[in-house]
Amino acid sequence: MDVILNQYYLQIAIFVLLNAILGVSIYLTLATGQLSLGNAGFMSIGAYTCAILTVKAGLPIYLGIPIGGIAASFISIIIGFPALRLTGIYLAIATLGFGEVVRVIVLNLKVTNGALGISGIPTLGAKIGKALSALGFPHGVGGLTAQQTSNLMVLVVLLLCLSFLIFFCTRLNRSRVGRAFAAIKADESAAEAMGINTTYYKLLAFALGALIAGIAGGLSAHLTFFIGPKDFAYNRTVEILTFAVLGGSDLIIGPIVGALLLTLLPELLRSASEYRLMIYGALMVAMMAFRPQGLISEETVRFWKRKLGRGMKQ
Amino acid sequence: MLNISGLSTSYGSIKAIKGIDLDVPQGSIVSLIGANGAGKTTTMKSLVGLLKAQAGQIKFLNQEIRGLAPHRIVSLGMSLVPEGRNILAGMTVLENLEMGAYQRKDKEVQADLEKVFKRFPILEERKQQFGGTLSGGQQQMLAIGRALMARPKLLLLDEPSMGLAPLVVADIFKVIQEINQEGTTILLVEQNVRQALKIAHYAYVLETGKIVLHGKAEEVAKNPRVMEAYLGGTKADT
Repeated sequence: MDVILNQYYLQIAIFVLLNAILGVSIYLTLATGQLSLGNAGFMSIGAYTCAILTVKAGLPIYLGIPIGGIAASFISIIIGFPALRLTGIYLAIATLGFGEVVRVIVLNLKVTNGALGISGIPTLGAKIGKALSALGFPHGVGGLTAQQTSNLMVLVVLLLCLSFLIFFCTRLNRSRVGRAFAAIKADESAAEAMGINTTYYKLLAFALGALIAGIAGGLSAHLTFFIGPKDFAYNRTVEILTFAVLGGSDLIIGPIVGALLLTLLPELLRSASEYRLMIYGALMVAMMAFRPQGLISEETVRFWKRKLGRGMKQ
Repeated sequence: MLNISGLSTSYGSIKAIKGIDLDVPQGSIVSLIGANGAGKTTTMKSLVGLLKAQAGQIKFLNQEIRGLAPHRIVSLGMSLVPEGRNILAGMTVLENLEMGAYQRKDKEVQADLEKVFKRFPILEERKQQFGGTLSGGQQQMLAIGRALMARPKLLLLDEPSMGLAPLVVADIFKVIQEINQEGTTILLVEQNVRQALKIAHYAYVLETGKIVLHGKAEEVAKNPRVMEAYLGGTKADT
């Protein structure tokens, strides 16, 4: 038990889930075919809003995280109106610029502690540990240590968040809104000619992506107990984008698988960790060349369904 | 039904259409013909709001619609079948048709779907197939069917014959006439001038952004300039 549930593995599992949530956020913005590179910026807004509220204003975590998400999505609507008139590479550049602007603002504000960042953020694990001992389990539950139990609880919380998001996205895909997203992604001018209010739906997808990135930001602040402006620089954005590029952005499962692989890979290649970004780069180039649609596309699912279906008949 | 006066649209500093006057009476088929680059597609896109017109009036059912967003214009009852069809390739035929009825909330969508299938039986056969796997003619039928799903009062067709075999073109034109006879007014943009003039009631000839000739379709067809420029000229007579 102790071998599987050691601190290191649990920590990695937590980061996998957090990154998977970020994968969902990029999936949602990509759902209308908008290449936005502002997700790290929104994450930063969510993380700082949440951390300031919980550390300085003493708000409980379960309120701070959603408020962080809402703040991020509010900002996304403000910048979305002008930015979403751009398409393709221009939107990517504008949102990338937005991320940098957020970073510089955070670096220079007093309330965010500038380059020092905010530290001493109460971690979710510690909070849960305290709650457990208050409930009369100071030494953990069922033969596990207190730390293992609280880490497991954090995992459960994140898993619940992620499952809710997956459920939400699959429902969304079958709804009116999801159809509009898909039509805009397939052909924006055709969607417009069919009477879909493209501005509204693009903005909606953008704001939903920002909301989830903001929530992920708030969660990350309460998982690592320290946040600084460097955590949300542009390479974070690129990292989030690579989840979708590697896993594929057709289906919700794509970026989640991408997040899983790209979080595990650096741990497996621990000795090569300095070359991580180079490996990322090589991986991206290889993906562009061999599987531009990502690892998992709708065809992949159809192919395996057919294959498994045939296998079962035999 | 549709009255356009002084409509001008530019791409940057290039004026594509320079003050067009055009009327589409209720229940008619009006053809807008002209060579490549005359401004036909620009006119269509300006009408439905996909392009912003710089000047002029567009009155649809006595309401000024210039400057409205495309989805508002669709909800007023004007649908465009875009040039090159713009099928959603990754969606099934059925989903494409359902998207056409996106703005409708009434209960008759299903009935209209049946109607489209009756008009284009091939679409019913292939309703679970992806839009992108259809042939050119079938895609055009799907594009028209999809526009009809919005129940337009005025249907704008932008070069429905583009890239299609002559037999298929004849089919499409027959369908356009049928749709018109059932009460939908049609504004048709065509390069296939002969066919377009055959089914139209009125015709307008567009040259470098200006209307140079208009009138009843049969009169336009007899005009020597039109015969020379679009209908194979006077060679046949000599």
